[in-house]
Amino acid sequence: MTTPDTMIALRGLRVLYGAFAAVDGLDLDIRRGELFGLLGPNGAGKSTTIRVLIGQRAPSAGVVTVGGFDVAREWAKVKPLFGYVPDRENHFEEFTGRRNLEFFARLYNVPRERCLTVLKLVELDEAANLPVRGYSLGMRKKLLLARALLHEPQVMYLDEPTANLDIHSAEVVHRILRDRVKHGATVVLTTHNMEEVEQICDRVGIVCRGKLVALDSPLALKQAHTERKVDVTRNDGERAVYDLDTETGLKGLSELVATGQVATMRTREFDFHATFLKLTGLAFD
Amino acid sequence: MHAHIIRALIAKEWQRHVANRGGIALGVLLVAAAVLLSVSTPRGAAKGGGGAAGLVGGVNHCLVQYDTHTVFVTHLMENVPPELKQQIHFQPLSRAQTVNGVIVYPVGTGGLQVRELRDGVSPNYTVHVSVWHPEGNPTALAPYEAWLWKEFRRWNVRRAQLRGVPGPPEPAFDAENQWLLTEAHKRFQDQVAEAAANNAASGVFEATAAAAGAPVAAATTGVKLAVPDLDVKREGLGGEVLTFHAAIVTGLVVFALYFTCVYLLPTLNCEERERGVLLAQALSPASPLEIVTAKALFYPTAGIGLAATIAAIYQPAILAQPFFWLSLASVAAGFLGIGMTISTLARTQRAAFLGGMCYLMAVSMLLTICSLNNIPILPYFTVEYFGPRILHAAISSAVNNTELTKTNWWNLLGAALLGVAWLTVAVRLFRRRGWQ
Repeated sequence: MTTPDTMIALRGLRVLYGAFAAVDGLDLDIRRGELFGLLGPNGAGKSTTIRVLIGQRAPSAGVVTVGGFDVAREWAKVKPLFGYVPDRENHFEEFTGRRNLEFFARLYNVPRERCLTVLKLVELDEAANLPVRGYSLGMRKKLLLARALLHEPQVMYLDEPTANLDIHSAEVVHRILRDRVKHGATVVLTTHNMEEVEQICDRVGIVCRGKLVALDSPLALKQAHTERKVDVTRNDGERAVYDLDTETGLKGLSELVATGQVATMRTREFDFHATFLKLTGLAFD
Repeated sequence: MHAHIIRALIAKEWQRHVANRGGIALGVLLVAAAVLLSVSTPRGAAKGGGGAAGLVGGVNHCLVQYDTHTVFVTHLMENVPPELKQQIHFQPLSRAQTVNGVIVYPVGTGGLQVRELRDGVSPNYTVHVSVWHPEGNPTALAPYEAWLWKEFRRWNVRRAQLRGVPGPPEPAFDAENQWLLTEAHKRFQDQVAEAAANNAASGVFEATAAAAGAPVAAATTGVKLAVPDLDVKREGLGGEVLTFHAAIVTGLVVFALYFTCVYLLPTLNCEERERGVLLAQALSPASPLEIVTAKALFYPTAGIGLAATIAAIYQPAILAQPFFWLSLASVAAGFLGIGMTISTLARTQRAAFLGGMCYLMAVSMLLTICSLNNIPILPYFTVEYFGPRILHAAISSAVNNTELTKTNWWNLLGAALLGVAWLTVAVRLFRRRGWQ
């Protein structure tokens, strides 16, 4: 059931490539002012879902609405609502960063001054007048974000927005995304960076083989699915795993600590990475 | 449709060319070629075409036209050598193509008109041969003339032999030496006359002529009956001539349109698609129709502008001629349709480039094969058949200050129809496949 709070709604979304179902009956509500992480292993159906959301792939079945508008039927009304940062950069190589943005600013009918504002926001103002062909991969990625921010969209789709970015630039991107969310925008991002998910996402949806296998906040998911195990490295270099839910495990760990044989100790309790692997069925035994 | 979006998209196309100067450089080269051509044109040659040589050193086809289907014409038809069979065509003069009563020939075609003139009283007659060759190139029909004279003589010898007159030795006919031809014929007549006189004296000729059904009175004048007089007249074809300079300008104008619409449009469009920039534009407020419209406005306009500049450098007066603008618009429409079709079918920039090249080669081959083998109708389905014809007609009429013929307007109609057809194909393909 769609609530007034829902910005993006997917109902029974199914996308077929021949006989193969890339997305298989996906039901999902993404709220206004939410930073949503769409996770999944390669080929899980994340990109196909994004392609449906940006109108580049028609659903084989199901309905997708953005801001209450049907993506398939009311595309013209959906288009101005979102900004999209693809995983592969797509700039006019021969233009400068600023000219790239100015072109899109004219299409969106926003003032030219906005270009400089967003360039400053992504810390590309100093490189604004250099041709894009001279930009590094990180700079290109940031220019994509600047382009998506031009018209201050209500919805943003980002495909691995921090890939190829240094730590500082990734922080800048996170800050911008959080700021957009604070101003009521809905942000949907796909990423393989689990730390990033834990750090900035309000909610996470994990898809696997085209189906939604988990949906909650990163913390709740961790708490619900993580194993209460402790990885220990002893002073003699031996490594061992102790399960805290078993008496043997608890007793063994207590003895080890009491005799002072523990060199390092790490709990798996808050390991989102392990949670992800467990949920997607990709964890090694 | 939003004006600001169309403007932004058109400005983007222009800025891309300014940033990547390859297209502009080629345009400048074309203009420079037109300037050089204009400067190198001999004074007065641009107007009236006086003294200009024909574009080609020979003609590809020779029309043998006759007023009546005589035995001689039958003889000619039966004795066309295999190497000229594809080039020589026979046609009654009553079916010749005319404009305002004047017989006209297609480009690259010469004419040999054969008429038998009789006074209606005596059995004697004159074979009148008119050689219509390209202006300024009287030897263009040499191989066809050589064949005609040879067969003319063989036919006459055969006629004489039928009447018991032995044939004289064959002289070396030379199409470029008309006096020699006339003299040889005269000598031939004399020889026959002498032989006839000798035979008449011995009574042989009289008996042979009587057996052939000729009056005895005529038989005694033997020569007139056996070999008619020969009257050869050489004339240059009047009207417009495919001059070298005008032909080159026509080529540059056609190339300018081809370059912008069939090369630049598809390759740059496919480059945008490969890079994903087309997707970025498609996700912006610009609709697919606006993206297509901007490209469909920019490239033909740029092509027409370049083509008009080239033509105007050669002959400024052409800019005042509506036929020229209509021709440019028709050819540009056709090329735009072809370019958009390639844009839709090709997935990569390389495929678009190869598509344009393959199209050019295929059409060139088709037109060449059709021209050499005289295959009708098929060339009418190519823009490249009508385009150069109407553009050359426009340039020539502006240069020579002559009237356009009905054929020119028919060719313009053909080009316009092909333009509409190609645009229809392009739009239908775009609707079905899109550019993504």
